[in-house]
Amino acid sequence: MIPEGLLLAALPEHLLLLGILTLLVIDLLSSRARDPLLPALLAVAAAAVSAAWLAWTGHVATPFPGHFSVDPEILTAKAVLLGLSVPVLLLGREERLDSRFAMLVLASLYGAFLMLSGDSLIMLFFGIEVLSLPLYALVVLAYRRPQSAEAAMKYLVLGGVGTAMLLMGISLTLGATGGLTLEAFQQALASDDILARGAVVLVVVAFMLKAAIVPFHAWAPDAYEAATIPVTAYMATIVKAAVLLALARLFGGAEAGPTLVAVMVVLPLLSIVWGNLAAMRQQGFRRLIAYSSIAHAGYLFLALLGAPEDRFGTVAFYVVVYGLTNLLALACLPTGQDWLRDRLVGLKGLYHRDARAAIFIAVAMLSLAGIPPFPGFVAKFLVFRTVMEAGFVAVAVVGLIASYLGIYLYLRVIQYMFMTPSPAHPATRRTGAFAATAAALAFIAVLVVGVFPGWILGGL
Amino acid sequence: MSEANALNLLLFLPVIGGALLLLLPERRPDLVRGLSMLVLTAQLALAVWLYVQFEAGVSGLQFETRIPWIAAWGVHYHIGLDGLNLLLVLLTAFLGPLVVAGAFTSITRDVKLFHGMVLFLQFTMLGTFLAQDLFLFYVFWEAMLIPMFLIIGIWGGERRIYATLKFFLYTAFGSILMLAAVVYLAFTVLSQDGAPSFAIADLHLLELAVPVQVLLLAGFALSFAIKVPMVPLHTWLPDAHVEAPTAGSVILAGVLLKMGTYGFLKLGFPLFPDAAQLATPLIMTLAVVSIVYGAGLALVQDDIKKIIAYSSVSHLGYVMLGLTSFSLLGVQGAIIQMVSHGLVAGGLFLMVGMIYERCHSRDLAAYGGLAKLLPAYSVFFMLLTLAAIGLPTTSGFTGEFLVLLGAFHAAWPLHEQGVTYPLALASVAVLGIVLGALYMLRLARRLLFGEPRAPEVEAGRLRDLSPREVSILIALVAAIFYIGLFPDPFLQKTEQAAIDYQERVLAPVGEDRP
Repeated sequence: MIPEGLLLAALPEHLLLLGILTLLVIDLLSSRARDPLLPALLAVAAAAVSAAWLAWTGHVATPFPGHFSVDPEILTAKAVLLGLSVPVLLLGREERLDSRFAMLVLASLYGAFLMLSGDSLIMLFFGIEVLSLPLYALVVLAYRRPQSAEAAMKYLVLGGVGTAMLLMGISLTLGATGGLTLEAFQQALASDDILARGAVVLVVVAFMLKAAIVPFHAWAPDAYEAATIPVTAYMATIVKAAVLLALARLFGGAEAGPTLVAVMVVLPLLSIVWGNLAAMRQQGFRRLIAYSSIAHAGYLFLALLGAPEDRFGTVAFYVVVYGLTNLLALACLPTGQDWLRDRLVGLKGLYHRDARAAIFIAVAMLSLAGIPPFPGFVAKFLVFRTVMEAGFVAVAVVGLIASYLGIYLYLRVIQYMFMTPSPAHPATRRTGAFAATAAALAFIAVLVVGVFPGWILGGL
Repeated sequence: MSEANALNLLLFLPVIGGALLLLLPERRPDLVRGLSMLVLTAQLALAVWLYVQFEAGVSGLQFETRIPWIAAWGVHYHIGLDGLNLLLVLLTAFLGPLVVAGAFTSITRDVKLFHGMVLFLQFTMLGTFLAQDLFLFYVFWEAMLIPMFLIIGIWGGERRIYATLKFFLYTAFGSILMLAAVVYLAFTVLSQDGAPSFAIADLHLLELAVPVQVLLLAGFALSFAIKVPMVPLHTWLPDAHVEAPTAGSVILAGVLLKMGTYGFLKLGFPLFPDAAQLATPLIMTLAVVSIVYGAGLALVQDDIKKIIAYSSVSHLGYVMLGLTSFSLLGVQGAIIQMVSHGLVAGGLFLMVGMIYERCHSRDLAAYGGLAKLLPAYSVFFMLLTLAAIGLPTTSGFTGEFLVLLGAFHAAWPLHEQGVTYPLALASVAVLGIVLGALYMLRLARRLLFGEPRAPEVEAGRLRDLSPREVSILIALVAAIFYIGLFPDPFLQKTEQAAIDYQERVLAPVGEDRP
């Protein structure tokens, strides 16, 4: 028996599944490799339109009560994630990745959606696994380099540790509260019981591992570096967004207890400091982005300290801005042999070779540094306002000062591109049409969010 | 065109110019220069028109525009002219075309990017002066760093990367603490008024406990004091000035440093008046230390640009002294001194750039007797030197004289009540004038007089000023003498705002303020 309303409520998921199946069938029937871009884009676009349309009509449904539900907020988040995955797919085409890439990305997105819609811890766990398993494969997809396999292995093992902790936390929650729903977890959040506290800390730490918070961050630089550019882009934008949004939903309306607050103050602040400091020393662009993502995960976790009604909106705005800027930067990296294009020194004099790419990367770097008028500033402001409003004035001030540490590393990229001469025989070339399209899409979005942040903030 | 839209047009002209710039080909630097010149000249004309239309003796904003920008946070695009920013807007618009004209021959690489950055800088500087919403102010304030970072870093001297990073990181550190204070103010407004707002006028109505005010003022003041710069936060300035291209130095000295003093005048002191009164002894002392120490450092430099850079530290000390005297004359003098310093230091940096373009050296020891080699150059250099010393009939005199008059005016009654430090500080500040004469005359003597010598003079490449350079300098000198001879209209237009500032800050601690 099909649950009532399932077809409509989970329409974006169905369309994604249809896309995956289509790609699979094409791949099986066709004797030679085919371009997966069109079917994948069609599936994503159809899913995005359906999610946006359902959100627009204010669709609320619980086809699986206690497990799976949708409301306009969740549907909007899904539409945004789908929108962010369009440049990712374009970048994949630029790299001539075959249909496995597109299939795995769509499958991983499916997992992200389960996380967003999950009403029970079981569903959440299921979502995280569906999100992560394709990722391990995506990292190893760049098999041309031996370190990819090593990084994927590391990622898999640490991911497994995270999974184990999450399961442990879930079972402790069951023991402490007798339930497996999100409400049961929120009950545990507010409880003083030692069992409940253990449960909460385990679950939160599992999420921290997925989001790469210090000291659970070690996998990120290797995984980001080993993966190809589109996969790095996917990890830095959609995975991070899905994990944080799911966590914000998991917290719901509950206030965090003192133990958890201590964890959620200290570790994110450490992340910001360490991420920014370590990023300064990186010579590779993807490792730099990885450490910067560790710092940004810190800001995102600080946002969860905010008042319950502010959390989801703050996190949502931040991940959108953060995702767009990362996509913009990664889409503009000049092409060439993979290890060459990744070196920061390869960016020397980029302005003279490709002014558009240099300016776009500069905009992305300044936005990541939180310098106005770029949207990263509004996002940073929003996070620290949320934190301060919740009464953590000192935490916000320390966080802001820690964020200062990050400015230099982004300026260094700009310095390479604009202030140093181009080598006589540059090892990299201009990006092709697909990457340029992805960059243009991201740039327009960054510009719109930067100049009119009110349009989005007003809707939160 | 409605009057308020004239101000909006003034602000957005550089943006429009920048967009047009994108359409021009990189291979035609002449078109790029022409377009920038056209846009900035139009902007100057508009600024003069606004200045003439500005009504004296009226409190509050004129040519005001206020439309919601980020409605959910109560942020507005809110700009307007008042007595505090009127002259600074005029100064910014005045220096714009001169900077572009001065860069005709010195900037030959990446011409399009350079002019784009100058226009971007012009937009953000005017925006900072005009903003009447704290959020908007902060956006412009911080965005200003980006074009300056690139201007110093791309077209600067040998150690340009070190200098530009130091400039950016130094000033950004102050901004971060200011941002913390801004965020704190944002949610205080929300909790006290029940509605979010960033309007500076609304922030004036906040009731803040004195300790909170002190912390908030500390956040703002650090940021402003770095920008001014006040001793001991001035160490970024000589590096930035020395390494920056001429255009960068001129904008830096001419306008950017005034952001700091304007910040104190517009935000720092009026927003936290009780804390301002408490902090006055400290800030006034630092101001006088800046005057004397800056002058002392200028006296022993051999790099011409460094002499002028340290003289800026000294001259902006007067501005801070005037602002902390909280007397009408002192505040008005401070505003005039800001404009005067913008013209004089801007002019001096332009002239250093002109000689550097010819001889490729900024070392004072390499020069001598330029009066014989470059007579026209020497005449203008001497005129600017005299203005920097503050000789009567120049703008420097008006500014410094009013500041000192105001400082003594405010200090005497306090002295009679037994508070002696303002009088002592004002007396020490007079010393700065003497030192100022010493270092400027030393510079002029060694540069212009004595045995004629200069690098590359044998090569026969030393030409006197071109008509383009002469017209730039004539414009500057004319403005300097105009303010020196006829300061009255300027004083009239700033008077009401200065009175409002004084009344607001000086009201006894804990009382309702205007």
